[in-house]
Amino acid sequence: MNMPTQNSGQADTADQAADAGAKDAVVAARGLSKTFADGTVVALEGASFDIAPGSFVSLVGPSGCGKSTLLRLIAGLIDKSSGHLKVHGKPVDAPRTDVGMMFQRATLLEWRTAIENVLLPTEIKRSLTKEDRRNAAELLRMVGLHDFRFSFPTQLSGGMQQRVALARLLQTGADVLLLDEPFGALDEFTRERLNVELMRIVAEVGATTLFVTHNIAEAIFLADQVFVMTPRPGRIASIVEVPFERPRSPSLQTSPEFNEVVAEVRDILGEDH
Amino acid sequence: MSDRRSSSYALAYWALRALPHLLLLLALLPVWELAVSTGFITSILVPPPSEIIASIWELYVLDGTIYPHFLITLTETVAGFAIGAAVAITLAVCSALSETFKRYVSPYAIVLNVTPGIALTPVVIAWFGYGMGSKVALAAIISFFPIFVNALTGLLQVDRDSEEMFRSLGASDRQAFLKLRVPASLPLVFAGLKIGLTTALIGAVVAEFAQATAGVGVLMNRFSFQLDMGSSIATLLSMTLIGLLLFYAMEFLDDRVVFWRREGRRSVVSRARARRWAAKFGGHESPETEAASSK
Ligand SMILES: Nc1ncnc2c1ncn2[C@@H]1O[C@H](COP(=O)(O)OP(=O)(O)OP(=O)(O)O)[C@@H](O)[C@H]1O
Ligand SMILES: [Mg+2]
Repeated sequence: MNMPTQNSGQADTADQAADAGAKDAVVAARGLSKTFADGTVVALEGASFDIAPGSFVSLVGPSGCGKSTLLRLIAGLIDKSSGHLKVHGKPVDAPRTDVGMMFQRATLLEWRTAIENVLLPTEIKRSLTKEDRRNAAELLRMVGLHDFRFSFPTQLSGGMQQRVALARLLQTGADVLLLDEPFGALDEFTRERLNVELMRIVAEVGATTLFVTHNIAEAIFLADQVFVMTPRPGRIASIVEVPFERPRSPSLQTSPEFNEVVAEVRDILGEDH
Repeated sequence: MSDRRSSSYALAYWALRALPHLLLLLALLPVWELAVSTGFITSILVPPPSEIIASIWELYVLDGTIYPHFLITLTETVAGFAIGAAVAITLAVCSALSETFKRYVSPYAIVLNVTPGIALTPVVIAWFGYGMGSKVALAAIISFFPIFVNALTGLLQVDRDSEEMFRSLGASDRQAFLKLRVPASLPLVFAGLKIGLTTALIGAVVAEFAQATAGVGVLMNRFSFQLDMGSSIATLLSMTLIGLLLFYAMEFLDDRVVFWRREGRRSVVSRARARRWAAKFGGHESPETEAASSK
């Protein structure tokens, strides 16, 4: 119960904070832990943090440090083992409509056109209206795929498929976006371009974003805060504030200030990074 | 317009590809004819092509004996296939929905599979008689298993990421089943249906061989007993014809239903959906008018 306080700075004890949380935090976790059923793997241990509305948080860390586990907890896809977790002040116990998730694979339905894929989240909730359809078309325009809205996923490139998945995520209307290595399977160029677009889009819709990546520079470039995670047991080793003004241009990544932050994160991660 | 032109191109292309095969066949026929007429091959066992062609002419054109039998076998096959497929898909869906159901059904399905279905012929004839019933039954029985197994495999294969995506959207099990698992299983379902259709034909014909009053199997049996090899082979060709007919009908359906796996169909369906969308939800959504207005 008495977990070591991590750098979120606000938690006093797990119990107190669970009730309090930061007043305006969109996502608030206190001593959040997950041990998988076999009991041997502690996927996540004692995570405590507050995420402010509209902020962009990157999760970075080596494979197996619990990044996906943390996201899936917040998405309500798995149950926590202990600790407290609230989104918009309400405990998370099941998937909910104000939280949306996007995966490394686009997971589009091959038999649906791009726009039909984007409409899926709404279709699951209720029957479609004219407004929904207009909104979906608008979102596809936002991700630059308006001309491809009637194409099937297999007619699109990997990067385009992820854009459709992003439009689908936005169609959910969720204001907490969880992105688990969304562009991890794409080539460097596409990834960089999509990262910049992602920054623009989430700023435009004002969403709170958690973004998982293996890439330190990418994590820093995108985020207001970087959660640096370490494995065995998976924990948030440190929360690094990213001081740079927005909007940011890719050239930022070559500046000395930027590289200082990279060095700081690298330091926390230790030798193997 | 452009569709018609491209299809006439396709026809020309196809004809060009078929030409060498046709020439080879035409070249082989005289060799075969010669081999029989010189006595190199006994004409009682293998009839010369001329005799087969004469039999075809007689059976298919002059007195058309073949057609009633052809229709009967075709009906038996299709009816048996339809029953086998309906039962197989129903059981597969139930097995996919309920673990318990699957546990109780699987042993029977496996027993049915390892038992040579054809061996049931005498039993089936005893149960259903000499008429079409027994042929339909055997066709249904032996087409059941490949359809069941493929449909079940298709329904049980889960893409974990997609399932998780559905769950994160708050989808019910029912929605995930109907919107994800069923469509995702269709390619395998159709693979099973294609195999099932072929086996259904085998079932119908074998049952006819065993005991029947009509059908191409009976006809062929009759000709073989009379040592009329030409007519026998001409009849065999009608079975090939049934097989081809059914196979291409199935291929056509597969093409329409599982369009997303067919490169050519995909773009056709994509255009059709764009048109339908424009018609249903307003012209301003159609790509053509939009391109015009944005310029
Ligand atoms: N369903 C599960 N059952 C058992 N153990 C699991 C399960 N899911 C994850 N784990 C374990 O929990 C730990 C953290 O996994 P997680 O997927 O969160 O890592 P990750 O940081 O996302 O890694 P990667 O960068 O490779 O995606 C790993 O050791 C993993 O083996
Ligand atoms: Mg992961």
